[in-house]
Amino acid sequence: MKKIFRVPDMECPNCAMHLENLEDELPGVKRIEASYKKMSMDVEFDETKLTVAQIIQAANAIGYHPEPKTA
Amino acid sequence: MDLIVAFITGVTTGGLSCLAVQGGLLASSLANQIEEDMQLQTGKGGAQVKFRPRLAQPIFLFLVAKLIAYTLLGLLLGALGSVLQLTPMMRAVLTFGIGIFMLGNGLRMLKVHPIFRYFVIEPPSALTRYIRRTSKTSTSAITTAFLGALTVLIPCGVAQAMMAVALGTGNPLQGAAIMFAFTLGTSPVFFSVAYFATRLGATVEKYFTRIVAVMVIVLGLVSIDAGLNLAGSPLSVSRMISSLGAVPAATIQNPVSAQNGFTVNVGDTGYTPKVLHLSAVKPVSLNWVTKNVRSCSLSVVVPGLDYQKVLPATGTVKMDIPAQAKGTVMRYSCSMGMYTGQLVFDLD
Repeated sequence: MKKIFRVPDMECPNCAMHLENLEDELPGVKRIEASYKKMSMDVEFDETKLTVAQIIQAANAIGYHPEPKTA
Repeated sequence: MDLIVAFITGVTTGGLSCLAVQGGLLASSLANQIEEDMQLQTGKGGAQVKFRPRLAQPIFLFLVAKLIAYTLLGLLLGALGSVLQLTPMMRAVLTFGIGIFMLGNGLRMLKVHPIFRYFVIEPPSALTRYIRRTSKTSTSAITTAFLGALTVLIPCGVAQAMMAVALGTGNPLQGAAIMFAFTLGTSPVFFSVAYFATRLGATVEKYFTRIVAVMVIVLGLVSIDAGLNLAGSPLSVSRMISSLGAVPAATIQNPVSAQNGFTVNVGDTGYTPKVLHLSAVKPVSLNWVTKNVRSCSLSVVVPGLDYQKVLPATGTVKMDIPAQAKGTVMRYSCSMGMYTGQLVFDLD
């Protein structure tokens, strides 16, 4: 499953890199691509192992507040 | 040229001269580090702690990358000769473009508008992922090193003089050694100025990012102005200021008669006279006269004639100018776009 989030509180390019670090820390995540320019984060994950709420919670823990984008 | 001479040139004049041109890139890379450290150390919504940016490592990385890039450039210059020389217009466009980039980056840091987010170098996700998984190197280190290597595209006047020497060796290893020695010489000056200047700034924690942003904006504007000077544009701020004090043609007494050639005296702080009136309609010769000059004014660029020359520290270089229509104005500058002058062809 792929989900796109809007991340309004990215303040510098390194924020995107911090969010991408979740790729290695969150079980069930296949790929994260975050963009400071677009203020967004694309997450590809296994929905049998992880929920959107858990992704948001993990991002909150490192100081960001992603909002799921509706298609 | 002796390698020790190249090193001493770097320590004495190259460091500050190149810092004036390349300081913006270093400031940009330090700005990224400061932003990151501020976020880590203030805990994003957590308790405030004393803010201490880690600056020694990024400055060191920047300088090492710069050293490697210039050494490789010396290698190429020695091997390929004059093929790699930038034309005056290419240099002008490059300097102007770098100025726009720095200006946009400064406005981004001040959060003026989301559009300025596009004025930042973001390494591709694939690259950061690869680096993250294969080493412990931080991503900002890559950006810092990349910016350090980018300085090779904006050499200062003294560095250009050294590049000309590397070019003249006609030997890749000698060219590389000259550039290595020179760039190594500039490094202590870069490190000291950048490190202590930013440490001083850390005491004003809350406003530090803003101060850096303003510095980047100022350097960007200086770079844009330099780009305009290099292109021979009358619109640059420095030219407009100098034109305010311009003297009418009728009152000018050129020091040397047209028969012996006209003369521009090149000094450490610019060119005299600022506005030189020459004979129109017929070919004239112009003498660039230097005496113990050590600044970037030695590297002179006349875009209207596609002329660029690194003058000797002491001596006279003759330049033949073909006949120009009466009233022609040619603007010239040093290769950094800092010092400017005008040739006005309006004498009979």
